Amino acid sequence: MSSGQNSGGLMSSAGLVRYFDAEDRNAVRIDPKTVVAFGVLFGVLVMLLRFMV
Amino acid sequence: MSWKEAAEPVLTRMPSVTRPEGHVPFRRKLGWTAGVLVLYFFLTNVTLFGLQTQTTSGDFYGQFRSILAGSTGSLLQLGIGPIVTASIVLQLLGGANLLGLDTDDPRDQVLYQGLQKVLVLAMICLTGLPMVFASNYLPPSGEVAAALFGSSGALMPVRALIFAQIAVGAVLILFMDEVISKWGVGSGIGLFIIASVSQQLVAGLFATEALANVTGFFPAWVGIVTGGIDLEGSLLEALLFEPGNLLAMVTTLFIFAVVVYAESVRVEIPLSHARVKGARGRFPVKLIYASVLPMILVRALQANVQFLGQILYSQLGDVGMPDWLGVYSDGQPVGGLFYYLDPVQSREQWMWFIYAPAGDPLDIAVRVLIDLTVMVVGGAIFAIFWVETTGMGPESTAQQIQNSGMQIPGFRRNPQVIEKVMERYIPQVTVIGGALVGFLAVLANLLGTIGGVSGTGLLLTVSITYKLYEEIAEEQLMEMHPMMRTMFGGD
Repeated sequence: MSSGQNSGGLMSSAGLVRYFDAEDRNAVRIDPKTVVAFGVLFGVLVMLLRFMV
Repeated sequence: MSWKEAAEPVLTRMPSVTRPEGHVPFRRKLGWTAGVLVLYFFLTNVTLFGLQTQTTSGDFYGQFRSILAGSTGSLLQLGIGPIVTASIVLQLLGGANLLGLDTDDPRDQVLYQGLQKVLVLAMICLTGLPMVFASNYLPPSGEVAAALFGSSGALMPVRALIFAQIAVGAVLILFMDEVISKWGVGSGIGLFIIASVSQQLVAGLFATEALANVTGFFPAWVGIVTGGIDLEGSLLEALLFEPGNLLAMVTTLFIFAVVVYAESVRVEIPLSHARVKGARGRFPVKLIYASVLPMILVRALQANVQFLGQILYSQLGDVGMPDWLGVYSDGQPVGGLFYYLDPVQSREQWMWFIYAPAGDPLDIAVRVLIDLTVMVVGGAIFAIFWVETTGMGPESTAQQIQNSGMQIPGFRRNPQVIEKVMERYIPQVTVIGGALVGFLAVLANLLGTIGGVSGTGLLLTVSITYKLYEEIAEEQLMEMHPMMRTMFGGD
């Protein structure tokens, strides 16, 4: 879908957070893989911390 | 200078997940969705570092947990709470037209996206800080304080550590939602709600005493049939309520059926193509037009009011808190304003004729009436705001129909004319649908549901799952016929 959530055919209903096509050149871009990898590492880190202390 | 210019440098620099270039194959989309879901479950199982090991203080969100996702004491302690609260603020501002943002203008779209994220960050602080520092729901561990900071009394830095973890967890939820919205199927928030409600639902059906300390529906019935569970008191009561739970089962099935049926109730406005003769279509105005999502906003509003009560109570204590404001026992309001504003969440809270400590029938009646009014009126109001801010209102849909080259047969091909026709249906259907959903949510709570998932949780889950199913069907159609992609406006 070209503009994500808000163009699902005629009948559209967005999620609670809406994302549009337009993006600013200044914006920091994050790769989706980075998000998932960070989540996994963060979880493992906290588990290790609990294990050590 | 308007607020837009002032806030622009901040709002435009909010980090965002990159958009996929070109078409993402369906399998890949499912992959991302499943991956993020696994990550979500993993994070709900990671206990916060620095938390006391034996925590018996219960869940801060209490009964609201099922719709706010996440899990108490874990990295996802806050769940989608901050996102929902931020969304309430945006809906109210947008619905009252105070923002002055035109979501068709690319510049304003960037600002809107940035504003969402800034608001979520603000809400993480607004809910997280009092939760960690001003209440005792996340007690810091003295051992960790001793190991890290030299004395077991140095609890402040440990609390700060706990706050940092739940804040990172909440930001992760925000970005996980963005990953699913852009690379996966449906929306992350919807998925997290389904995940947490389904988990409770399955537990309510199949859990056994040995496994989870509660007896689910099926093990209870096996027990009843084989004689393992004794039926005490009157037979009817035992079968309808605990341990038989037939009423909860019937309510759950009833809500399922009503939502699926209501999804198919619609007013269809005929359309025909202006140029291509014979090309016809219909514009459906569904009964649950605004879907059930606005309901979560009303519930979250109630949750935040209770949250305020908890914080006030933990700060003022038993003596300092005026009785008219709230009387608390075991962390639950049992009198005063916060008691009346607390929605009835289970049968135990109102069936004074069965459950002894439920309270005075008159008090209960007032409480149920307030809850019903808030849900029905609030449901209708938020549904209207929702329709306006998400571009489902008469004006936006008229423009969409006009742009797609369709027209309503018998009317001039003109957006204003289409808007007039749409205005006859959309506002009325929205209000009726919103009020109906509010009523159903209260009813389901009163009668009880399997696994205690709350009426709103059940309504949300059924309707999100239905939407997800529709979206998957659409995706598969597009996979099979690449031509359809252009028709649906894809790339």
